[in-house]
Amino acid sequence: MTGCFLFIYLLLQPQSAEPTVPQEALVIMQAGADAESRHDLDAAISDFRRATELAPSSGMAFLRLGNAYIQKRVYSAAIAPLRKAVELIPGSIAAHQLLGFALLAQGYAAEAIPHLAAAKEYGALGIAQLQNNQPGDAVGNLQTALAKNPGDPDLLYYLSRAGTALSAESLDNLVSRSPDSARGHQALGQNHYAMKMYPEAKQEYAKAIALRPDLPGLRLELGQVYAAGSEWEKAEEQFRAEADLQPGSAEAAYLLGNALLQQGKMKEAAEELKRSDALRPDMPETLYALGRSAAVSDPALAEKALARVIEMEKDTPLAGEASFALAGIHRKQGKIEQATKDMQDFRRIQALHATANH
Amino acid sequence: MTAGGMTRAALASLVCAIALLAQEVEPKSGPMFFVSPGKGVDFILRNSPTSRKYLIETMPGGVALLDYNNDGLLDIFLVNAGHVYDPMSKPHNFDRHLPDYWNRLYRQNKDGSFTDVTVAAGLANAGDTNYGMGVAVGDYDNDGYPDIYVTNFGKNILYHNNGDGTFTDVTAKAGVAAGGWSVSAGFLDYDNDGKLDLFVTRYLDWSIEKSKTCGSESPTYCPPVEFPAISNILYHNRGDGTFEDVSVPSGIAAKKGHGLGVAFADYDGDGYTDIFVANDVTNQFLFHNNGDGTFTETGLDSGAALSSNGKMLSGMGVVFQDYDNDGQPDLLVTQLPHQPYVAYHNEGHGVFSAQELETGFGTLSGNASGWGVGLEDFDNDGWKDAFIVQGHVFDNVAKYDSSLSYRQPPLLAMNRNGHFEKADAGSTVPVAGRGAAFGDLNNDGWMDVVTTSLGERPQFFVNRGGKAHWLTITLRGTRSNRDGYGARVTVNGQLRFATATGSYLSSNDKRLHFGLGSSEYANVEITWPSGSHQKVASVKADHFIVIEEAAQP
Repeated sequence: MTGCFLFIYLLLQPQSAEPTVPQEALVIMQAGADAESRHDLDAAISDFRRATELAPSSGMAFLRLGNAYIQKRVYSAAIAPLRKAVELIPGSIAAHQLLGFALLAQGYAAEAIPHLAAAKEYGALGIAQLQNNQPGDAVGNLQTALAKNPGDPDLLYYLSRAGTALSAESLDNLVSRSPDSARGHQALGQNHYAMKMYPEAKQEYAKAIALRPDLPGLRLELGQVYAAGSEWEKAEEQFRAEADLQPGSAEAAYLLGNALLQQGKMKEAAEELKRSDALRPDMPETLYALGRSAAVSDPALAEKALARVIEMEKDTPLAGEASFALAGIHRKQGKIEQATKDMQDFRRIQALHATANH
Repeated sequence: MTAGGMTRAALASLVCAIALLAQEVEPKSGPMFFVSPGKGVDFILRNSPTSRKYLIETMPGGVALLDYNNDGLLDIFLVNAGHVYDPMSKPHNFDRHLPDYWNRLYRQNKDGSFTDVTVAAGLANAGDTNYGMGVAVGDYDNDGYPDIYVTNFGKNILYHNNGDGTFTDVTAKAGVAAGGWSVSAGFLDYDNDGKLDLFVTRYLDWSIEKSKTCGSESPTYCPPVEFPAISNILYHNRGDGTFEDVSVPSGIAAKKGHGLGVAFADYDGDGYTDIFVANDVTNQFLFHNNGDGTFTETGLDSGAALSSNGKMLSGMGVVFQDYDNDGQPDLLVTQLPHQPYVAYHNEGHGVFSAQELETGFGTLSGNASGWGVGLEDFDNDGWKDAFIVQGHVFDNVAKYDSSLSYRQPPLLAMNRNGHFEKADAGSTVPVAGRGAAFGDLNNDGWMDVVTTSLGERPQFFVNRGGKAHWLTITLRGTRSNRDGYGARVTVNGQLRFATATGSYLSSNDKRLHFGLGSSEYANVEITWPSGSHQKVASVKADHFIVIEEAAQP
């Protein structure tokens, strides 16, 4: 597809810089063009190669030969004629564009970059920069390309990768330039956490907190490290400290409530989850945890919260879990019919996802 | 004279077999147990791990506490695994004829040491084609001597206790060899005919040929979902030394799963023993006994199939006893890391609620993997505590998750009014724990534990004792089965369901132990499987008593 596009593009290129081309070469080039239009790429390549022999100073002949190789997806063979084309007609955008594509396709990202930049081929340029460990530049160029082609899945994919790489690079910079700062330790803590190196992550967060005890987020993240290891008492301590630091944070209140729930402190958990729900209403996870924690002390509240989860989540696994929790409440209340219906919903959703997973 | 509604004649059926006063021991300030390998016990659980990661390698092995010679001292039977070749070739041979791979019976001596009596008892060589798993104990022929049933990957074996210190392999006659991969088993009287029947869990439709490894960077054991599920087996005791496989007509075979643990109790008080099967990555099975020889699997509808958030359990070990003293048997199921051990609270009317968080197991389970499990009153305060043997399935789990470890110490959790809190078991030595059997090894009135660990000697957790009072009851059925399995026994409001089955692969001391706290007397009430009721009032604490079922209702 790219080849066809480029071929059309090629034909539009000015040939003013071309030296006089022998008639025989022009005839053979036309034969090559005809073969190309018949999708007989082998014949086209043969003709264009002959044309380059008859007119070795014709940039267009080399360009057409390189383009034919690219259409045939023999990128390695395209590179040499395209290099020659760029040498003979350095102002040709098409020559730079094609050479950039061929180099990138062969993994020579660094070499491709100047050619793609000359051709203003922002998408491919961004990809080459990403592969050349220049995520910052890549993000800018991929965003420019996306502005022209919104929703392009390839561009979105590479932009996502570039964003991740940029984030990692920024963190690397942070860690290498300010290793003893609170943010430096936080970044290291995040890295260790992502790699499930929980003891190391705890150490880094502890250092960060010692340096900047008032920095929001540190205790939230440290609490999550403890939670990942099912150390709920310690997680609660950190989430509580974060909730004190940020009383308006629904996330801190939710995480604290969930840590309390995991320890079986149902009433305390319900109170904290109600507070989280008030701060940021209709968060399904918060309502689900509220439903579970209030099941014994305030079954009416629990039913209401779980019903809302089901209403919002429809057929998601969380909706299934909410149906299951509702069944437990109804069963204990002796409402067997309702419990049976809840379990039917649960089984239906379970089957739905089992099928999807299968 | 009457006592608690009992006649003097009925009281006469109460026999004080052993009358050991509780030793006055200083209150505990340290660990609950002295931990030792057991004097005279040189057994090593040889599971023979290989690079092929045959799944059987990580699943053994069982332990039973039984008094095989009726001398009043608990003896120990340990199930060994076998030699696994790397790779295995046909015909499959686990070298069970070699002494290193024998199951072992250790007789307890009066000084608390043990003597290996395996050969004399006729229990050497468990069959070269059998890779050992678990053990069940019960007096299936009501002759007063406990018989032993050994489960295997291969064929299971029923050893009849001849009453003279020897056993005879009666598997062929009895018809209980099963086949495939059997795991936990237990004796129960499901039809209350006075004869013990036999239930056997099976794990997977697996064989050496079907074996495969999982994991990308470092091969490891595959999860059970990689292999087809299989049904469990129920054998009905005909009373003539033979059993009939009633798995299909009883409805047991209708449900296929990945059975590992099994436990029994009459959860709805209808007088019939129900069956719970701990399944690995399948819904847990609660087989309700319909009282007519059939069972209905009610796990999901009764609330005992999944965790409180509707997730499947990796169920491994299970115990079915009343942990909150409300008079109804509850369940505790062990499983893998980051999946709390699940306590199913019996709400009555056939309804359970998963309360892993309310009971504290959400915090206690943590990164551990639980296998053998018991609910026993270790401090005799009147509340049943939890003891769980731990160790991961994968011997290379740390390569996958550095927060996890293959070897783990056991968990002791003390019961504080239905909420469990971690306590010092006396051992921080990590092992790949598997089986656990519970009983009073030294007859001091304080419950002890014997555990098994892959590749290692068993661990003896001997209770350091204390000052609280206790009562231990041996049931002697007359119209009911002689072991009294299936009886509901209440002492000062605490319920115990009479069974030796529970934990993982293991069989417990059949005697019923109750902690009495500061009470010096106990009121005992028994509902026998035959349906008869017996009450014994004002029994002096700190005694071992035998209660024989009244001959007439």
